[in-house]
Amino acid sequence: MSKSKRTGKQPPPKQNLWVIGGVVLFLLLFCGTITVRTGMWLVDQFRGGDGENVSTPDEPQLTWEEQSAELTIAASPLMAPVLEQLAEQFNTQSGQTPDGESMRVQIAPYEPAQMIDAAVERPNFQALSPDSSLWLDRLEQAWRVKLGQTEQEGVVPVGQQRTSGQIRYAVSPVVIVAWESVARELGWPDKAIGWETIQQKATQDPNFKWNHPSTNNASGLLATLAEFYAGANLTRGLTEEAATQPATLDYVRAVEATVRFYGEGEEVIMQRLADEGRSFLDAFVAQERVVIDWNRDPKGERLIAIYPAEGTLWTDHPLALIELGAPQDDLAVTDNQRLTYQAFSEFLLGADAQSVLLTAGYRPADLGIDLGSGESPFANTDAVDWRQPQTTLQMPSPAVVEVVQNSWYYTKRPTNVYLVVDTSGSMEEGNKLARAKEALSAFVSQIKGDRDQLGLLEFASGSKNFTPLRPLDEGVRSDLLSQIDGMEAIGGTALLDAVYTAANDLLGQDDRDAINALVVMTDGQENESNYALRDLSDLLNSHADQRLVIFTIAFGSDADEGLLEEIARIGNGQFRRASETDIEELYKIISTYF
Amino acid sequence: MKRTRLIFIGIIALALVIVGVSGALRTGSSNPDAAFTVDRPETVTIRVQTALPVEPWVRQAATAFNAGDNTVDGVQVQVEIIAVDGLTALGRWDRNEYGALEGNGTPETLSEADRTRLEDFPTAWIPDSRYLVELANASYKERLGRDVFLTDGEYRARPIAISLFAWGVYESRGKVLETKYGAVDWSTIHDAAIAKGGWPELGGDPQWGYFKLVVPNPNKNAGGLAAMIAMAGEYYDRTDITVEDITKPEFQSWLGQLMGAVTDISGGSAYTAEDFALFGYSVGDGGQLLESDLLQNMQGIVTRWEDPLHIYYPNYVTWFDFPFTVWVGPETSALKKNAALAFQRFLLNEEQQKAALVYGLRPANPNIGVDASPDSLFVKWGDRGVQPVVPRTSAMRNPDRDVLLTLLRWFDLNVAQ
Repeated sequence: MSKSKRTGKQPPPKQNLWVIGGVVLFLLLFCGTITVRTGMWLVDQFRGGDGENVSTPDEPQLTWEEQSAELTIAASPLMAPVLEQLAEQFNTQSGQTPDGESMRVQIAPYEPAQMIDAAVERPNFQALSPDSSLWLDRLEQAWRVKLGQTEQEGVVPVGQQRTSGQIRYAVSPVVIVAWESVARELGWPDKAIGWETIQQKATQDPNFKWNHPSTNNASGLLATLAEFYAGANLTRGLTEEAATQPATLDYVRAVEATVRFYGEGEEVIMQRLADEGRSFLDAFVAQERVVIDWNRDPKGERLIAIYPAEGTLWTDHPLALIELGAPQDDLAVTDNQRLTYQAFSEFLLGADAQSVLLTAGYRPADLGIDLGSGESPFANTDAVDWRQPQTTLQMPSPAVVEVVQNSWYYTKRPTNVYLVVDTSGSMEEGNKLARAKEALSAFVSQIKGDRDQLGLLEFASGSKNFTPLRPLDEGVRSDLLSQIDGMEAIGGTALLDAVYTAANDLLGQDDRDAINALVVMTDGQENESNYALRDLSDLLNSHADQRLVIFTIAFGSDADEGLLEEIARIGNGQFRRASETDIEELYKIISTYF
Repeated sequence: MKRTRLIFIGIIALALVIVGVSGALRTGSSNPDAAFTVDRPETVTIRVQTALPVEPWVRQAATAFNAGDNTVDGVQVQVEIIAVDGLTALGRWDRNEYGALEGNGTPETLSEADRTRLEDFPTAWIPDSRYLVELANASYKERLGRDVFLTDGEYRARPIAISLFAWGVYESRGKVLETKYGAVDWSTIHDAAIAKGGWPELGGDPQWGYFKLVVPNPNKNAGGLAAMIAMAGEYYDRTDITVEDITKPEFQSWLGQLMGAVTDISGGSAYTAEDFALFGYSVGDGGQLLESDLLQNMQGIVTRWEDPLHIYYPNYVTWFDFPFTVWVGPETSALKKNAALAFQRFLLNEEQQKAALVYGLRPANPNIGVDASPDSLFVKWGDRGVQPVVPRTSAMRNPDRDVLLTLLRWFDLNVAQ
């Protein structure tokens, strides 16, 4: 018994214990490894990754869903309404991606220059359609600079280009648009009319009113290019050197002095033509399609498209996908958005969309469409001519275009602008004052002409701070920005007194070579002025030959819109509404008028 | 049973269960490794990179091929066409964007993810011209020490169609040039380009402005390089051009004057003939472009503009031969390579060669005439100057890499900026 007890409790030999321990340890390690790897693999399968593309918490998040098939396209303002109509048609087709996502397109209007600025950074759109390919060239150039490829290297690696999949869906030549009576006076339809004709007419006839948009639009940029060509006495081969010759700049400066005002794009011109009629302008530079659009239901006289004899340029309305997700960027176009882009591109080139574009006055990209017959708006009219233009100006390289655009600031008509700003107590509400400061600062930064003058009148119950008109050098710019930064909201609203004071000072300058303007912003009701609207009207009428222009902005919902509209009317300007979200953009837009 | 032994057996059993479950789970999943090395698929899809001028024809051929019962070793073949300009594709090969394996690497040594990515590797490439194949191969040979595109043997590059570079000049303008100079050639175009008085000086309509030349941007379209090679051939009156020829100041001055008449280099797209039709004579009085592109856009030009286009053939002719080129590296399987050859044979059959005529392409098969199809664009536009057989021409030799790079460099420094 004792033996058996001894035997039963006998410990295993030490050698066996080591063997067993080793085997157990090996099995635990082996099983552990297998278990962990299997666990990781299972997690990977559930996440749908391939084991190497699992995002970490440090990786930036997309601003749209990874499966999103919704595509936002930034479009030039004139084309945007047509594209919106087409996008609506596309969306009603309820197309789906292979994984069942709904393909949808929405359009966001953008001025081309702003569109390009946004596309270089982190845009909230995935595709863009400016009015001309030259903007895409500018974008690629800016993108190369951002990537550090400052040298011209010719072939840019495909993977490093900012855009891809470019198509053209419609084109329209840039023309000189004139009322029929003005066109006939210039010699239409028998005589060749060119840029030089307009430039001569404008310099010889002080009553001749013409306009081209700022160089932030293709038609404005193209009109300016034409002036530089004429100034350099060239029709091709414009170089940076030729564009910056003193004689060229003098010529452009003389022509620009005859421009009545600059401004946004053709859509605003058309609106003002509708509002103000024949007296607004005699001629302006725009895409051919605005002539067709106006003549469809002319409010008064017909418009005529004059194809410049020296040559013109085309707006070619490209559509391109932005290759987001590049190095240092945290956005990427999804595969489904690419499919939507492809589908919408095909839709735009399809028969239905091309027909819509033709009806809107564009020349469709489908070469099978005959412009001169049938229901085409180009048929049976002499206001536009599908056989024209006969010749074009040579498009310089993007670098020269940039020089022209920059040089324009030194040749354009000078500007004297007073910013009249309400900082009454009500501006304390919400973020009004902060947003107004940002907007005013943006405006000051946008005014770049070396002959431009800027003044600032901050008012509440009375004039609080008054910086008289001064040439906008860097020192003055800095002073103005400091003054804006130091604004405080307190007091009542003596709007008319402030407007009268600024207008009186500006008219006292008697600078007839410049564009003279006030930009007035208020968020409240007039309640403390000594001057009445009639006093302001009398002041402006007594200096009518100086053509002071007043832009008024109703900031928020409590502003006295009726009074502001009336001030804009007697000031031959424009009334606009703004909220905290768009006040900065509005100030930027207004800056394009100067 | 002793407790220690029971525990021991239990651990063994548990380990076996874990290993077994793990193995079952992983075997049940789709395993690219297993598919690559063991499984024979029911279908094999090949990706064919195709130059833009032949892409519409090749794509319709691929549709017909995919609809038919085309197999290789019992495996159904499907063809996927990837449209890409020849120069763009060359850039991608040069930068190895498709991920060719370095050194002696094989797919078996790759991770699953890398092997999956390799599924997208192009099986074949149809560039515009043979010289693009040679340039791409030279680049890989330098990097890998082996050929990836062959010039002989089963997988050699074979032309599938031909298109010449020809002058397309708006008829009214062409007549004025013929009256003044007797012929349309690079010398005539040069003289027209430098005429200070523009078209009135040449005897044309003042409305036409200055003479405007259309040449593709050589950075965006291989046709631009072909045009510059043709210019050099005519300038030197010979077919073989060297780097020394390109760098001579007199030639560069002459070339600069010619290219100065190009209206829009910066905004030009790869689709030069389409642009030529879209913007008409307003952007170009004439240009040397691919015959097939001119023929494909002829209807559009006639519909859109009041003046039709007339085709003239140059004395020194360049052309594209669109070689069907199979990638011979280990990145694609033998099955895929053979599937590519099957599609190549399909493109060269009589039916597809006749179909090429509808796209203005000359068949690679010399037994098929350009009038072999009633829908041939050569027949349709016979009265616009297109000729079945081009007389009196000298074929330019394919330029070497250094000549092309020198021309591109000159273009970047003198025209593109």
